[in-house]
Amino acid sequence: MPEFKLSPSTSIHALKSFLNSNNFFDSKNSKTVVNFPERWLHIEPVGLVMLAAWGAWCKRTGKSIEAVNLTKKVGDYTARMKVFDHLDVKYDHQVLEHEEAGRFLPVKNIRDAKDVKDVIADVSVLLHLQDDLEALSAVQYCMSELLRNVLEHASSPDGAFVCAHNFHGKGPHRITLAVADCGIGITQHLSRAYPKVINDDLEAIRLSMLPGITGALPGVYGTPDNAGAGLFITRSMAKGLGGYFVLISGNAAYRLRRAKDNEQLTLLPDPFADRADRWKLPSAWLGTVAVIEIPIDKIGEYEGLFEWIRQQLPPKKQISKKVRFT
Amino acid sequence: MKMVITIIPGDNGFAEDKDSAKKIRLEIILPALERSDEIILDFTGVTSTTQSFIHALIGETLKRYGEDVLDRISFHHCNPQVQSIVSLVVDYSLGGFEAIEDEKPKKN
Repeated sequence: MPEFKLSPSTSIHALKSFLNSNNFFDSKNSKTVVNFPERWLHIEPVGLVMLAAWGAWCKRTGKSIEAVNLTKKVGDYTARMKVFDHLDVKYDHQVLEHEEAGRFLPVKNIRDAKDVKDVIADVSVLLHLQDDLEALSAVQYCMSELLRNVLEHASSPDGAFVCAHNFHGKGPHRITLAVADCGIGITQHLSRAYPKVINDDLEAIRLSMLPGITGALPGVYGTPDNAGAGLFITRSMAKGLGGYFVLISGNAAYRLRRAKDNEQLTLLPDPFADRADRWKLPSAWLGTVAVIEIPIDKIGEYEGLFEWIRQQLPPKKQISKKVRFT
Repeated sequence: MKMVITIIPGDNGFAEDKDSAKKIRLEIILPALERSDEIILDFTGVTSTTQSFIHALIGETLKRYGEDVLDRISFHHCNPQVQSIVSLVVDYSLGGFEAIEDEKPKKN
């Protein structure tokens, strides 16, 4: 039976055990279960968007969802993040909205370019970033690139699910942003142009993060509308800022680890050469999940981040003419 | 003739709408270059942008005309972030990515 089992800590940090303990998709059974832990639940955006996308998949494939152990103790935050709206699960407990109702973007379903614009417009207020334009720019950038990736490449009947949280208590001050879909996945998308990735989800994930790789056309640095650089730059931003970057698709997962300051100076084009984890999963995620952690305290000069990325990636052939900025 | 094209950003000065970038490329930039016009892309009011937006705006133009087109396009009022992204797109559109050479599918 398909089961979405939430670990007490469903977070980037504890991602491996969460992914390994799940059997998300099983098309043979019409009944599905979302299993909440009994005592406590710390769930981060990665778990929230996966749960919402999975709920949409269940609906689409005609499966009813039963929630097990859904007490107020473990359910309130999930309810505040509006996940149950996407699950067809009724949350019977009253949710207390705190006075400071915010610092998070609840789970939203994104189906077209207008939805992308709308959610980006909401970010500033919902994440309380009106006075932190550097952080706002970084979040907007990642949100736009990750959501448009889904709309353009994932062939997801349910679109994308996105949410974000501005963590400012214990641990590093950071914003975590997650996007999930139940579309065709990275392997199927890339295999049109790169047949070598068929049956190798981990290699597909690796290629998707290299600069210039796109499923739209083989080689030639992209199409008029896609360069194949989106995931490379998003990963580079995480590296430069010292945050996590996660990509899950099919039976594979990749997690760029938080970088120490002295490791951030060099950007390695090959994601597997970086300080990162990669796992083969016992149960596939039928689609793609992307997560980026943006450490706010390390943003410093956001404008300089892109110049750093550019300098780390010299072109293969030198260009003699200069770009004219006036 | 010189043609000024104003880039209109979305909320908070963020220019990310690839569809509008594509429309500008197809309906204004490429026809203007066909007529041998000079182009000024005016980024006044744009506080940040994405690589995808700039690629959709100028990537095809750079590939079609090569680096000589840089004599006919200028970028007006770009802040440092926008400048870096424009330069990045110019670099890979004209110079290619070193990192992916070994990954390209081999021709039989």
